[in-house]
Amino acid sequence: MSAPVGAPRRVLVALAGTEDPALVAQVARVVGGRESAIELTLLHVEETGPRELAAHGLPLRSGPWPARSGDAVEQRLAEADDLRAAALLEAWHDRFAAALPDAGIAHLVARGRPEQEIVAAAGRLAADVLVLCARPRTGPTEAGPRSLGHVSRFVVDHSPVPVLVVRRSR
Amino acid sequence: MTTTAPLAAVIFLVTIGLVIVRPRRLTEAMAALLGAGAMVAAGLVPPGAAVGDVVGHWNILLFFVGLTGSAAVAERSGLFEGLAGAAARLSAGRPRRLLVALVAVGAIVAALLSNDAAALVLTPVVYVLVARFGLAPLPYVLACTFVADAASLALPVSNPVNVIVADRLGVSAVSLVPVLLPAAVASVAALLGCLLVIYRRELPARSPLSPAADSWASWTGVPRRLLAAFVVAVVAFGVASAMDLPLGPTMTAVWLLLLGVERTGRRRGRPLEGIGWSLLVFVAAMGILVDGLSSAGVTAWLAALVLGPVRDSPAAAMVVAAAAAAIGSNLVNNLPAAFVMADAVHGAGLSQASAHAAAIGTIIGSDLGPNLTPVGSVATLLWFVILRQRGLEVSTWSYIRVGLIVTPITILAALGVALLLGVPR
Repeated sequence: MSAPVGAPRRVLVALAGTEDPALVAQVARVVGGRESAIELTLLHVEETGPRELAAHGLPLRSGPWPARSGDAVEQRLAEADDLRAAALLEAWHDRFAAALPDAGIAHLVARGRPEQEIVAAAGRLAADVLVLCARPRTGPTEAGPRSLGHVSRFVVDHSPVPVLVVRRSR
Repeated sequence: MTTTAPLAAVIFLVTIGLVIVRPRRLTEAMAALLGAGAMVAAGLVPPGAAVGDVVGHWNILLFFVGLTGSAAVAERSGLFEGLAGAAARLSAGRPRRLLVALVAVGAIVAALLSNDAAALVLTPVVYVLVARFGLAPLPYVLACTFVADAASLALPVSNPVNVIVADRLGVSAVSLVPVLLPAAVASVAALLGCLLVIYRRELPARSPLSPAADSWASWTGVPRRLLAAFVVAVVAFGVASAMDLPLGPTMTAVWLLLLGVERTGRRRGRPLEGIGWSLLVFVAAMGILVDGLSSAGVTAWLAALVLGPVRDSPAAAMVVAAAAAAIGSNLVNNLPAAFVMADAVHGAGLSQASAHAAAIGTIIGSDLGPNLTPVGSVATLLWFVILRQRGLEVSTWSYIRVGLIVTPITILAALGVALLLGVPR
């Protein structure tokens, strides 16, 4: 049985990394200040499509130039993605640790399509609540039609656990 | 059309099919060579003429040896990392400014070292760079890919198509620069505008990470001597082209100069590494194939069909040639499309002004056309199939929509400028 939403213990925060740092204060306001210790898991999903694209070139690259070793390039790009994921989670770790000093914070990196990986991770961890930003890359979002990006839309539609959508308003 | 026309057309189309599908790891060059062999075996091209075709292309072939060799030296020297690093420093952590700076770098690389250098070599470098800033790579990766084509109108060195079309039409590739360079500037500007609009909501105001300035590559990684040699090479090539010296020997001399300077430093590569041998074979074989089509009357038929109605108007010839080349590039591959179009223009009996305008149109269409849509290209569809087989879901739409928007707009921008500058009135 998961705990009531009012007293979440296992909190999964999905981060593209580009969210407004104000997200931390909003999350802390909703889940913080309870007796039970919070286990915070910060999730970042590496999107693998662009990596493929960059390593192998667009299919329509004009000339039949000598084939480059796409796999070697992809390896290099995968390392760059891992570095980015680690650095982003590290940065957000510090922000959450400052706002929620008693929380235990874990990092989780997944690879694939963000919307699917977020839903899968929420189920796997049996999180009490899943936190996500309405549109992690767009700046302020007012409530209203189309205020969710396609990733958040999918997650809200498919999440096996309660979802907390955080908006960044002006 | 002659009675051999259907046979020639079938040989050509089957060859293109093999180039696209590549059964049993058959390379494009081998497929084209098989097709050329079939043309000769079918008696459509006499063996002597086939040899003459290859020898006749000596200038282009030497040019590609020098160009791909020079690009390889640039890659080994760390020039691409240096340029990307400079763009990163200019952008001061602002994602939008970084996009603009990287488009500018991509345009310079494509213009001076060919579109494939920009797309295939610069893209991974840019990917690693934007990852350091914690940014999502897709907008930047697509920017590299598209700017490679948008800027590839600029100079003869920017795209193999430019030299091939000019060569087959007997026009000096250099004489087209006064029209194509401004057209390239217009298409890059149009591309940049499109990207900024398309990604207006996806690029954050500031990058989430601020990597230390020395954590990404900088100019210091490129040996000074080699940097100076690149500048000398660009100037020398410009002067030689302005003097109408043949491009092939000039480019080869540039490559040898760069190699020589590279050998004086610590970081040396194998000199022949990175040369586009398959491109050479492909171009030579494609010349024979299109000769077969031409002698069977297929290209003349195409020319009458497509260019006949616009014979007397240079402006209309340019627009029609651009449209035909763009469509052809999406149906087959842009090199074969450019070959066939150039031959059609050649055989259409156009006035000199119209032929000149049609050459420009053909270059615009086959340089900018190929990114249009996966639906229009068998090659792209296959690429998606391969990705699926490897278990990778690609959100197709995010790639398609950019091509659908960018390609027509860049073509229109380039055509507009070319019509203003390249059509006598």
